[in-house]
Amino acid sequence: MAVEFLERYSQGQSLCHRWPARAKIVLTLLVIATGTLLPLEYWPASGCLAGLALVGLSVADIPLGYIGRRLALFLPLVLMTALAAPLSRGFMGAWDTAAVIVLRSTVAFLAALWLVSTTPLETLLAGLCRLGMPRVFVSLLIFTLRYLYVLFDELARMKTAQRARTFQRQSTWRSWLGTTQLVGMLLIRALNRAERIHAAMMSRGWRGRMELLDD
Amino acid sequence: MPHSAAPILKVEHLSYRYPTGQLALRGVSLTVGLNEIVGLVGPNGAGKTTLLLHLNGLLTGTREPAHAPGLPANPAATGRQTTVGGHNVPIEVLGMPVTPANFPEIRRNVGVMFQDPDDQLFCPTVRDDVAFGPLNLEFPRNEVRRRVAEALTAVGLADYEERRPHELSFGEKRRVCLAGVLACEPSLLALDEPSSNLDPRSRRGLIEILKSCRAAQIIASHDLEMIVELCQRVIVLDHGQIQADGPTRDILGNASLMARHGLEVPLSIQYGLPLPPTASSPPSAT
Repeated sequence: MAVEFLERYSQGQSLCHRWPARAKIVLTLLVIATGTLLPLEYWPASGCLAGLALVGLSVADIPLGYIGRRLALFLPLVLMTALAAPLSRGFMGAWDTAAVIVLRSTVAFLAALWLVSTTPLETLLAGLCRLGMPRVFVSLLIFTLRYLYVLFDELARMKTAQRARTFQRQSTWRSWLGTTQLVGMLLIRALNRAERIHAAMMSRGWRGRMELLDD
Repeated sequence: MPHSAAPILKVEHLSYRYPTGQLALRGVSLTVGLNEIVGLVGPNGAGKTTLLLHLNGLLTGTREPAHAPGLPANPAATGRQTTVGGHNVPIEVLGMPVTPANFPEIRRNVGVMFQDPDDQLFCPTVRDDVAFGPLNLEFPRNEVRRRVAEALTAVGLADYEERRPHELSFGEKRRVCLAGVLACEPSLLALDEPSSNLDPRSRRGLIEILKSCRAAQIIASHDLEMIVELCQRVIVLDHGQIQADGPTRDILGNASLMARHGLEVPLSIQYGLPLPPTASSPPSAT
């Protein structure tokens, strides 16, 4: 399934996997907060935090290749943001600021990756819930988690149907056009589904508060 | 129609027009008695789903006889809305008019099962989903746990509590949906196409589960063989109107009536076949 990457390693059995979810959430938040709040000139400390996150990831048996692939998706976005600093000086300085932005983001990213790679999403949500995260956010995340799979399946089916009626290699332009139509249809279908889900929730007495049996 | 017991559901002159202007129901009247299992049949677009959505107030139609003057008018445009307060509401459940004030009590008593199980399974685990109704009804945790275990046992999925909905087969999803509805212990089940897309074994399992339910049922389906097996009484709906209402074998055996409404006489009636024997053991998980 297309979204398996989300939870590929979260069901493991390592030491980190067995820690209580709340402790892991607090630790991750601490690392992120420290990493972002440290003054510019303390960058070696930020570097240490990144190292710490990497150690955590290796203790949790997360392969380096996987971390690398995740970073490869993440870093380009950060680099664009980081470049804004030198750009504002006409590329005549502020390169250190850019470097620190990249470093801090990497710390936050690695820490969060460690958290989601060592905690199944349901456990993570239950932990957030117990730490006092507002119910509305928890509900949103629960629905996102549940329907991500359904939407990806739907997208896969639509893509297959489209391919089944595509008879020759298409020009890039036409294939882009096809993709935009696909995304539009997916949005409409998702909206319709949302209405049906709402009806199903109302049928079972929904009163605006997501309750889970375990809290 | 003579009914042995007081009606659990009473619908009178229910009319409904979708916001798009399409008239979906025209003066529908019917009653369902205690412990009665009623089949609702009719071609696609006949209004079956629309009718079911009215039973717990998800849609609110107006009370207008089919041939009342001015019916084709758009209720929103003419300001004609259901009068809240009792006497002008077209649907009653257990004697309660279906009005917003009664929604909590009515939704607890009318369990609606939708066509697509993915629409109904919105919680992260099977347990949370089955518990959703009872939790919203604010039962104590122990009572919720008891109901979840009982409902899952009733559908033959007792050890599925920890499973996630996306890991289930279609048939299992459908059963979990039914468990979620049963956990509210409704007096009336409104089932929309409960057997669609099921393989024969899952379909058989579902039929056996429905047979063992104590609640009254109204089952909208194209699976006429299932209707023959489960229902003593059938209602034919077409063009938003009730075309026939009577004993299953009389209605579904009427070839010209069936043909007029895009249906067919089920083979079991055509050839006088005996009904499949009721399974003695509860259905197992597949």
